[in-house]
Amino acid sequence: MYPKQGGDDQLDSLWQAYRAACPDPEPSANFMPDLWRRIESRRNFTFSFQRMVRSFVTVAAAVTIAIGVYVSLPSATPPSEANYLEALAENNALDTPDSVGPVRLELNEPGR
Amino acid sequence: MLVDFELVRRAQHGDSAAFNEIVLAYRKRTLGTIGRLIARTEDVEDVAQEVFLRLYFSLDQLRAPEVFEPWLYRLTVNAAYDYLRKQRRRPEFRMSDLSEQQVMMADAVAGGKAEHDRQQKKKLRETVDSLLGAVSEADRVLLLMKEVEGLSLRELEKIYRVKENALKVRLFRARQRVLKAFETAEQKNQNG
Repeated sequence: MYPKQGGDDQLDSLWQAYRAACPDPEPSANFMPDLWRRIESRRNFTFSFQRMVRSFVTVAAAVTIAIGVYVSLPSATPPSEANYLEALAENNALDTPDSVGPVRLELNEPGR
Repeated sequence: MLVDFELVRRAQHGDSAAFNEIVLAYRKRTLGTIGRLIARTEDVEDVAQEVFLRLYFSLDQLRAPEVFEPWLYRLTVNAAYDYLRKQRRRPEFRMSDLSEQQVMMADAVAGGKAEHDRQQKKKLRETVDSLLGAVSEADRVLLLMKEVEGLSLRELEKIYRVKENALKVRLFRARQRVLKAFETAEQKNQNG
């Protein structure tokens, strides 16, 4: 596979020696119990997370419905018949200077 | 295959006993592969358990029991790679250590397959670990799967899901880097 060079054979020998020096080890007695403990732990975490997500989605849906109902309900105070400027004039306090009162247009102003 | 397809199918359908049997069949081989990939004996069991943990939670994604072994190798490679990346240990080339270790290694190789004691094995692991510092974690894993685990390019193609030619190029480059590190260390040893 490779074009061979000077140190290739030595490197191949090194790989072989490494393979021989690292045989498949025997697993410890706790390998299987520890593995199942980790599986259970991960499974519990996943279930807790899913339950939390489900709770969050339920609460979010309930809040959305509540806001929808609130917005769609008719307002308790009947809407005013007056337009904006009239309502503003009515609410204008007596001590308010004329300069901030409603604008009046004198169409028949003399001299025009 | 160390287990039959029916056992894999049962495990896929949530049969815990079947999964247990699969782990019992493959754990020793997986421990060996991981041990050689990460060169840290103290963490081998932890990484192997991570492999089987991932297997447990991903078994339902396996397309067919026939591709179980490449799938397990893939999980092994990924877990070893994740471990190495977390360790972020890219040791500098330790010339002095390596020279001594290479003398030991040459003796060991010259002496055939003689019994090595624990210390010699440790030194040999350190030698290979140092040489593999010349390549990335991904290339280290790929190179060891080919050179030490003895997997064919076709098997690696299934595991990595990469075209054979791309693997060949990557393996060649990785091997060249390791070879260069090996020769540099030898030269240093001869001069020193």
